[in-house]
This record gives sequence, C-alpha cells and structure tokens, in this order.
Amino acid sequence: MSLLRLEKATIRFGGLVAVNEVSFDIRKGELFGLIGPNGAGKTTCFNLVTGMYKPTSGRILFEDRDIAGLPVARIVRLGIARTFQNIRLFGSLSALDNVVVAAHLHRRANLIDALLGDPRSMADTERLREEAMGYLRALDLGDVAHAQSRDLPYGKQRRLEIARALATQPKLLLLDEPAAGMNPAEKEDLADTVRRLRDEFGKTLLLIEHDMRFVMGLCERIVVLDHGEKISEGPPEHVRNDPKVIEAYLGEAV
Amino acid sequence: MHKAVPIRAASIVLGLLGCWGLDLLCRAFLRDSEQRLVVLAGLYVTLAVSLNLINGIAGQFSIGHAAFYQIGAYTAGYLAFFFYLQSPLQGVGWLLAMLALGMATAALAGLVVGLPSLRLRGDYLAIVTLGFGEIIRIVVQAIDLTTPAGEQVGGALGMSVEPRIRIVGLVWLFALAAIAVSRNLCKSSHGLALLSIREDEIASAAMGVQVAKMKVAAFMIGSAFAGGAGVLLAHSESFISPSMFPMDLSFIVLTMVVLRGSGAITGSVVAALTLFYVPEYLRGLKAADGTALTVTGATLVGWILAVIAAVVAVRWIAYQYRGPRKTRLAGYAATFFGALLVGRALGWAFSFFPALSGASYEVQKLRMVIFAASLIIIMLLRPEGVLGRHEFSWDWLARALRIRRPREAVG
Repeated sequence: MSLLRLEKATIRFGGLVAVNEVSFDIRKGELFGLIGPNGAGKTTCFNLVTGMYKPTSGRILFEDRDIAGLPVARIVRLGIARTFQNIRLFGSLSALDNVVVAAHLHRRANLIDALLGDPRSMADTERLREEAMGYLRALDLGDVAHAQSRDLPYGKQRRLEIARALATQPKLLLLDEPAAGMNPAEKEDLADTVRRLRDEFGKTLLLIEHDMRFVMGLCERIVVLDHGEKISEGPPEHVRNDPKVIEAYLGEAV
Repeated sequence: MHKAVPIRAASIVLGLLGCWGLDLLCRAFLRDSEQRLVVLAGLYVTLAVSLNLINGIAGQFSIGHAAFYQIGAYTAGYLAFFFYLQSPLQGVGWLLAMLALGMATAALAGLVVGLPSLRLRGDYLAIVTLGFGEIIRIVVQAIDLTTPAGEQVGGALGMSVEPRIRIVGLVWLFALAAIAVSRNLCKSSHGLALLSIREDEIASAAMGVQVAKMKVAAFMIGSAFAGGAGVLLAHSESFISPSMFPMDLSFIVLTMVVLRGSGAITGSVVAALTLFYVPEYLRGLKAADGTALTVTGATLVGWILAVIAAVVAVRWIAYQYRGPRKTRLAGYAATFFGALLVGRALGWAFSFFPALSGASYEVQKLRMVIFAASLIIIMLLRPEGVLGRHEFSWDWLARALRIRRPREAVG
C-alpha cells in the first residue's frame, strides 16, 4: 500500500517551475531516496510534502488523503516529520528540551492546566520528558541530554535533529541531506541509524542526499530529479546505469 | 498525588502569608507616600514579568506594554464612573470585579495586537506595538465626558477613580500570581513550545507546535496581567490620566526585561525592583540641612572618571585575568574601594580648577542621567543580565542553605 503519493505535483515561483509534474509513490516501510544535482528541486519537494509550500497544481496524497496546502503543524500531526538541511535546532534549549518540544504534540494537558500548574500538567510534562529521553538514548545522545544544543558537535546536532523529528511519532520521516558535512565514519554510523529507524521503529523514510555512494548503499528505491523534473526512478542499480542520470551528473561518478 | 503538590501547596500558603505580613508591616511602619512606592514597585514587577512572557519567553518584540496597563486602568476608571454608585458591590468586592474585567479587556486588546504578530517579526512587530501604545494613549486623551453636573471628566485632565483602595498585600499577591503563572508555564512543555517559537519559528511549526495559537496566547496572558496591574494602579492612586502612561513607561519596563538575564523570571523581578527604586532613592536624596543635595562639577567629574576606571578594571578581571577565584574576588573588592578613593581624590584635585568647582548640580535632577549610566554599566559588566541563568527555586534555596545535597546529575 502506498503511504505517500505525489501525483503530478507542480510548483511555480513566478516564471520558474521549481518542481514540474513530479509523481512517485512511496510504500510503507520503504527506504526511499530523492537525488539530483544542485537546484534540482529536491528540498522544494520536501517543502511541498511538509506543507511549507502549497503546490500550484497536482496532488499529494498521504494515506490516500490529499494533504496539499494543509498547515505545517497539521501535517506533522498526520504523521510526516522532517529534518532540515541547514540544521535548525532550538539553539538555546537543551538537547532534551529540543525533543520535548516535538513530543509536546502528544501532550494531554492543555494550556490552562499548564498556567495553573495543575499536577496533571506537571505529570504530563514529566511523561514527555521521559519519552524524549528514550529517543535521545535510541540515537546515542543520552549523555548530552542536558547540554545546550548549540554547543553540541556537528554530528550530534544532526542526530539530535533526527531524534527530534522521531519524537513527533511520524509514520513517514523525511531526512534532508542527513550526511552533509559528515566524515566517512560518521556516514557509516548514520547509515546504520537510518536502517534502525526502519527496522526497529518501523518508520518509512524518504531521504534527500548528495552523496551518491551513501544513497546507493542505503536506499531501496530512488527517484532522480533534474531541473524540477523526474528523469529516472527505480532501484539503485537501474538508476546508476540510466544514461539520463549520467548525463545530468555529467562526468560525476555515479 | 503528584510529588510536587505539597511543595506547591506550601508555596501558595507562604505567598499568602508573605503578602499578608507585608501588608501588616506596611500599615504599621510606613507613611502613606512610602506605601505608595511599595505598591508601585509591585505593579512594576507585574509589568516586567508579564512583558517577559511576551518578549522574553515567546520572543515577540513588543514595546507597547504601557498601553495594556492603561487599558486596565481606564476600564476601571470608566466602569467606576458609570456604575460604581448603583453597584451592589462596594469596596474590595468592586476592586476584585474590576480586576477580572480589566484583565479581560486587556487580554482582548492583547488578542488584537497579537494578530499582526502572526505576520510580523522583530523590528516590524515592535513598530506595530509601539504605534498601538501611542494610539491607545491618544484616543484616551481625546475622549471627554461631561457629568450631569457639568463637570468635565477624562481626556487630558484625567479622571478620578472611585473607590480609593490601596492594599499593598493585594498588589503583591497579584505580582506573585503573575510570577507563578510564568513559572508554571516555563516548567511545562507548553512553555518549551513557546521558547521554541522564539528560537526558530519554522522548525517549531515543523515539530507540530501551533505557532499562531501560542503566540496569540502569550500576548493575551501578558496583556491580561498588565491590565490587572492597571486596575490596581487606578484604585490605588484614585486618579488616572494619559500622562501616567507615556511611551517612556513602556521603555522602562522593556529595559527591566532586557536586563533580566536568561534566568528569566527571577531576573525580571530583581531588575524591576532595582530600576524602580534607584530613581526613587535618588529623588529622595537630601542634604543634611534638608535642602536639595548638590554636587560641584569637580566632584561629578571625579566620580565619572573613577566609575569608568572601575568598569574597565572589573571587565579586565572578569574577561582577561586567569588567576584563581580568590584573587579575582579580592580584585573586585580592591577595585571597589580603589574607586571610592580615586573618586574622592580626583574630586579634591579638580576642585582647584575654578571652571569645575564653580558649577553645581542638583543630584535629583541628575537622577535619570545616573539611571541611564547605570544601565550602560550593567550591560558592560553583566551582558548576560543581572542574574545570568540563575532562576529561583526551592531546590536552589535548599542547596544554598545546605539543607539538601547538590542535585545528582540526571540522565
């Protein structure tokens, strides 16, 4: 069954067609890759799916429901969470609090209870804190839970972004260039983490990546974008040998 | 039962007792004019803490806080003008009803100002809130009413507010309520959601935080407390006029919030009290014979130079010196006494210059200059705010008094 389906999704900014009639289909439990040269429209695709942009035309179906143009916070509630290419943590908050903000989605107490310091609200916050701690531990961040997130080393900040997205309890997790700026050892680590997200947590993953080797080794199916259009789709072996893809990357080893 | 419940109950009882005790003490020992200062201090604390909710915690740069204060005050003023005589509620009952209504009206105004904050950010929002503050003041100034007796009420002349009720304990209880609400909020995940909006609005929405709702809520809660403070002001002074809510007031409250440090709530309270009392203290300074205290130009220049030297020295010790803590503390002490000596000595030396020793200034008139200078000095010496990241809590007090052992590392 398809979890997310793009049907001829298109977005124009003035005269520029950033994403042009792109369609693909992600099945539940898949590790799905979205690749393409710089400016191909990958992140714009993410922004369409997460509601940051509203498509000019076309449909975006999540669990057979059209989510195109719904507010961002609403789409998160339906079960799509994302990380950001340029890390966007809540810098002055601790790593734990960053994750609690995301887990806040599943609170039971309302704002009035919180203002009055109702014991239910306090218990609720504690529950979220524990839940958040669980996600930090799962991503090996337990030891830095109380460090200010902006002080964390780069690799940990990237992992914290994943932990935070995970805490919204998504069905579909979108990772925007998770390996950017990582060294080979860190990338290896990350690949394991991503596999675990699928195998242990049962998430479906869609990732944008620049690093070909990383994507080819990790993803089961790949869509290639170039100039906002889908030029190829299929398993890594197929994509790697597609002449269109080779041309798009012109000379780059694929 | 949640483990924090007994502590919570104890805090409430302690707060009530404290306010009651403060009230008794003020009645017993303070003159009316001094009680008024204690009331005003409580109101400033409320204003600072409530603005901190909007500016500090939710990160929405609002500089029109005096408007909400004024809206509360005028709600009380007009309602008293029209209804107090026929009202079955009298005295404190009426005051409490006004408190609720003033808070509601100000919250409504907060909603109106909060809505543009959904589209505006930073300086642009600041301009809107500033404009809103001025609009409220000018509109109030333009409304004139004439009583059946032909007496003019309101407008630039101001209006009297019935009944006059000045209860120090109630004012401080209200300030405590504002503090308690902020603190409860900060300790809950809702507070974290607000903080996340301040940090990064886009990421916050992407984590499912309902950004619009939370921002408006912060505006409404903050405004409601400012409105309540306005009601208390109106009844305590028994007179209100637009000139009591100038733009400066918004800026002074804003300064209190800026100086608070990231230990947001406690810092706001400390900054509010300090910034309120320093000018009042200077205003009250008198020479031994009861006339206004004056200083010569020589003394003034001497002190200015000494203070500058002391600031430079303290900054050097704080940021450059790498020695042990004890030497550092000794250095601060030496700087302090050294500055006193140098100030005196320079004053004496300058007194030989007729140009300097001839001029004389009243300290009272210099008070806003001194006030501004101390702000600059605080920013230079404590860029992280008066209290830095420290926040008051019972745990902290217990540790400070060595009742409890230091908290073990969590996680």
